[in-house]
Amino acid sequence: MRDVAIVSFSQLRGDPEGGVPEVLMLVPVVLEAIEKSGVPRKQIGFTCSGSCDYLTGAPFAFVQNLAATGAWPPISESHLEMDGAWALQEAWVRLQHGDIDTALVFASGRPSNSDLREVLCLQLDPYYLMPLWPDYISLAALQAQALLARTGHTEKDLAEIVVRARRAALSNPNAEISGEFTASELLQAPYVSSPLRAHDCPPISDGAAAMVLVAGDRARDLCERPAWIRGIDHRIDAQYPGVRDLSVSPSARLAGEHAGVGRGPVEVAELAAAFSHEELILREALGLGDEVLVNPSGGALCSNPMVATGLIRIGEAFRQIHEQGRERVLAHASSGPCLQQNLVCVLEAD
Amino acid sequence: MAERCAVIGIGQTHHTRRRDDVSLAGLVREAAVRALEDAELGWKDIEAVVIGTAPDLFEGVMMPELYLAEALGAVGKPITRVHTAGSVGGSTAVVATQLVQSGVHERVLTVAFEKQSEGDTSWGLSGGRSGGVGAGGYFAPHIKAYIERSGAPEHVGWKVAVKDRQNALRNPYAHLKLDKIDIDSVKGSEMLWAPIRRLESCPTSDGACAMVLANEAGGRRAPRAPAWVHGKAIRSENGFFPGRDPVNPVAGQDCAADVYRQAGITDPRRELDMIECYVPFSWYEPMWMENLGIAEKNRGWELTDSGATAFEGDIPVNCSGGVLSTNPIGASGMLRFAEAALQVRGQAGERQVDGARRALGHAYGGAAQYFAMWVVGSERP
Amino acid sequence: MAGSEPVSFMQQMVSLEYKLRASPVAVDFARRLCAGTITGHACPECGLVYTPPSGFCSICVVPTNTREHEVEIADRGTVTAFTIVNPIQYRGQKEREVYAVASILLDGASGTIGQQRLGDVDLDRVRMGMRVEAVWLPEEKRKDSAAMGAGLASAIHHWRPVDEPDTPLEEFAEHII
Repeated sequence: MRDVAIVSFSQLRGDPEGGVPEVLMLVPVVLEAIEKSGVPRKQIGFTCSGSCDYLTGAPFAFVQNLAATGAWPPISESHLEMDGAWALQEAWVRLQHGDIDTALVFASGRPSNSDLREVLCLQLDPYYLMPLWPDYISLAALQAQALLARTGHTEKDLAEIVVRARRAALSNPNAEISGEFTASELLQAPYVSSPLRAHDCPPISDGAAAMVLVAGDRARDLCERPAWIRGIDHRIDAQYPGVRDLSVSPSARLAGEHAGVGRGPVEVAELAAAFSHEELILREALGLGDEVLVNPSGGALCSNPMVATGLIRIGEAFRQIHEQGRERVLAHASSGPCLQQNLVCVLEAD
Repeated sequence: MAERCAVIGIGQTHHTRRRDDVSLAGLVREAAVRALEDAELGWKDIEAVVIGTAPDLFEGVMMPELYLAEALGAVGKPITRVHTAGSVGGSTAVVATQLVQSGVHERVLTVAFEKQSEGDTSWGLSGGRSGGVGAGGYFAPHIKAYIERSGAPEHVGWKVAVKDRQNALRNPYAHLKLDKIDIDSVKGSEMLWAPIRRLESCPTSDGACAMVLANEAGGRRAPRAPAWVHGKAIRSENGFFPGRDPVNPVAGQDCAADVYRQAGITDPRRELDMIECYVPFSWYEPMWMENLGIAEKNRGWELTDSGATAFEGDIPVNCSGGVLSTNPIGASGMLRFAEAALQVRGQAGERQVDGARRALGHAYGGAAQYFAMWVVGSERP
Repeated sequence: MAGSEPVSFMQQMVSLEYKLRASPVAVDFARRLCAGTITGHACPECGLVYTPPSGFCSICVVPTNTREHEVEIADRGTVTAFTIVNPIQYRGQKEREVYAVASILLDGASGTIGQQRLGDVDLDRVRMGMRVEAVWLPEEKRKDSAAMGAGLASAIHHWRPVDEPDTPLEEFAEHII
């Protein structure tokens, strides 16, 4: 495979100004990622983005977002109705052709426009499951319950994950929730859907992110410490909660294997674990031991702009290499109910 | 490019107004099974799936690939969902082709679908508000501008409407089978969005299309002659800015120039044996013939009027009956790509163009701003 | 399938509520519109004038803002393209009669405004190049919708022909849509 690196990353700072349309959330982010990369905007070889009509609340919502790239003269561009992490994978595939060296990837989501407990029901089998309106938190609670029952983990273990995430988020200006808490404090709260309490669930966040990929030596010329994509893969599980063991994630395990996670030690993992229990499932599936630092950004528990969350995990992993001097980090993205679909990306320094 | 890409299996459903006998999963699976049978492969042979459909609001299923993963044998595999407006069926095939050409996967299944009967497309397009004019109302002013600009006589649109419906009579999968259609019936049909009449418009269809793509080794081993990808490209441009020409968009010209360059084509009119082109309203045939460099600017209508694009003509367009006869929106682009591939494989049955060796598949979408194309050939490039 | 019972169907209507907040640029535009003025933004780099403004130039990708880049646009212009619509009757459609919609190039704008309703005109006489002007809603009716940041239709009921010579096609050939 051709060597491809992330050379720049940008994300929307904090909460976007009320009413700013998605494309205006993207304009500064896309411009910043391009500027930091040192690649002139008009020379970018391929552009790929991720977003979701049902989050925005309009058909063809992504069409407006195209303007954030200034697509004139015309550009080679594609869009996925998925998290931007999958758009990154498409761009990486496209760069393997060898005829172009640079790609722009971006993602945006405005989940705060709607009630996700209703909207996300539409992700389910439309004939047998969706008409029951099982909301995403209840589905996640089924998974959490299955995990606790199998492994003997406790609700306190879940609270400890939240304590650690919120503490880590103190140093992340983009996090929506952060602070010092204790597990016993958190456990005073009532259940939202047992065994999950509000702190075990992700906040509803809006967000946007962009990055630039560059192939070969040009990445070294443009960037001090680029993050090389050494492996990337994604897999999916069956959707029906009843047909699989919810306490494990075979698709995350497969994606991790195919991305080559085990080929070396992982220093940091940025996981799109939107619910606290998902971190435990993912750690197990990806074989991450206690020595691995998980979600130093605070992760999706502290800020979860759906369909941008995964791309932001990859961006945070890039920062770990580019700014923090790490050698080998892992990023993860997820889609669908109960961690149904998972993407794993391994980044390395030179 | 690490690898060549071959189309080794093609499947489609019998398209119709309502497929009441199958679910969404049943519909996509039917096309996928046919593509696998054509390739003489099983589900286990497929490494990855790339799926495309128009806006989720059309069927009311958000990210339907999540629910469809099991039906498409994708559990434990990568599945990617493309959405590029009306061009999506074409760009989905392009994304799948990239997975093979890059060397990432050896065999990829690509599927596109729409089950318009399970939703309300006009409602979806209007966002549920009153005053929606549909795609016809949106594109009618562009067509009006073309007619004004080129001085084309009005019968050209009627002629395309008749030609494509007659072509559909040779295609067992086509939705509309209007065996009595003629110029007078088109001309006499209701005016929906002037200058577009009812019989100059695409129908509302349920349907799916699937293809199995393989690398060079897979192409050589294929049980039936494959179609080789000689070029593939996508282009997008902003939909609204002063000075943009949506009648002859630069993105379409650039996309065509890119696929011709990859395929080594310098004179597309002569070097292509047929074209499957996204024509949802009759006038788009002459408009796209100009955009694709098959006819000179403002003279596409003369090409159509001369009969050159008819089944017996020297550059037949939409031998399948095209979008005017079959329109499962998300699949319409992939059907163009698949029909072009069937032609160069010599597998197009009664709609086969004699000796077709090189064909263009074309799709467009959005405000005529998204384009996807491929050139396929019988020869390994 | 042979021998199997016919499938029966039930309709499920799904209603989802979205709270879309008005964009600040749209709110400014609406405020001026409410007061009877159509405004646009001129790009500081290429000079193109956009109306309604989106807050940036989509070619230069340069942000524009209300104070510095706002320009006033006339409430009259030229029909550059049109169609006569026979409305599709989908759920929620309230239109029943045939009507004309047009792209209009307003005097002072670089690009057209699309899907604008024409009125006070014989549908057979609508043509490219025709000059039209806005028929404003009474001021009290504008306030409700305009404050929401809705578009031109929240203050302008329709566009009607004015007694001026047609604009020749070549003058707007590059601004048809």
